[in-house]
Amino acid sequence: MAHQAHAYHMVDPSPWPLTGAVAALLMTSGLAIWMHFHTMTLMSLGLILLLLTMYQWWRDIIREGTFQGHHTPPVQKGLRYGMILFITSEVFFFLGFFWAFYHSSLAPTPELGGCWPPTGITTLNPFEVPLLNTAVLLASGVTVTWAHHSIMEGQRKQAIQSLTLTILLGFYFTALQAMEYYEAPFTIADGVYGSTFFVATGFHGLHVIIGSTFLAVCLLRQAQYHFTSDHHFGFEAAAWYWHFVDVVWLFLYISIYWWGS
Amino acid sequence: MSGNFEEKIKNYRTAPFDARFPNTNQTRNCYQNYLDYHRCKKVLSAKNQKTTPCEWYRRVYKSLCPIAWVQKWDEQRQSG
Repeated sequence: MAHQAHAYHMVDPSPWPLTGAVAALLMTSGLAIWMHFHTMTLMSLGLILLLLTMYQWWRDIIREGTFQGHHTPPVQKGLRYGMILFITSEVFFFLGFFWAFYHSSLAPTPELGGCWPPTGITTLNPFEVPLLNTAVLLASGVTVTWAHHSIMEGQRKQAIQSLTLTILLGFYFTALQAMEYYEAPFTIADGVYGSTFFVATGFHGLHVIIGSTFLAVCLLRQAQYHFTSDHHFGFEAAAWYWHFVDVVWLFLYISIYWWGS
Repeated sequence: MSGNFEEKIKNYRTAPFDARFPNTNQTRNCYQNYLDYHRCKKVLSAKNQKTTPCEWYRRVYKSLCPIAWVQKWDEQRQSG
């Protein structure tokens, strides 16, 4: 019987990278087809393939780590680096949208009336729903930390409760933002103000939904005894991502909602 | 003071250096003087005073602004 003489994980051949790449191709070309010929078939196909790929790939990772024990300390270290690098790339993604916002708002053109907010734009009051949203996300940061400590201390019930509370707060934020979007007095088509506002907050909202989903998966795993008190990297990755989402919101709130109003 | 002002207007050749707009991009200079001229006129006419002090702004924006911009802004003001 052959054993490996190292602690690393040589992954078995898997079709998911290929299906992921095909999904990316179908989604991008599907997007172009949708824009020119008004059919969503190709794009929808790509989206379904993407969801299937994500589900099966991550399911396999959980099988390899939690059930087969392949996630030794060096392997886990690699996963940590990976998550940190991914979050860093997301930071740069948002940096671009903040650049766009500041470019337009620091030197407002005559077409806007030479002022910011531009002439004709009624901004949202930063001390109403946006402030509540800030409180909700900050609270969720506290509850996710509570969940982490519960896991580390082997407190199963508390971990489940605090993780559930975190997810509920995430949903509350999303619901409040959705209502704000519906009731806003301006749209994405309202000049550069509308563009920068909705693209930046919109991508943030998408990341809140992604983060909530990640946390929900962790809740399911916690309920099924996947996490131990000293090995629960999936949860840690979700918590890092959630804190990142919270920090981005704080920057959005200070820059766009407060200074920009 | 007004005597000095008339002298300044008589000796006007082109818009002088304005330290508020030190850089190559003079868009804001043109826009600001256009706005200042029309606001000055509006305020002084409302108080039924002579609008001669506003002449300076008119001279500056006429020197600096592209005609197309002035036409566009005049049309915008006319349509409210």
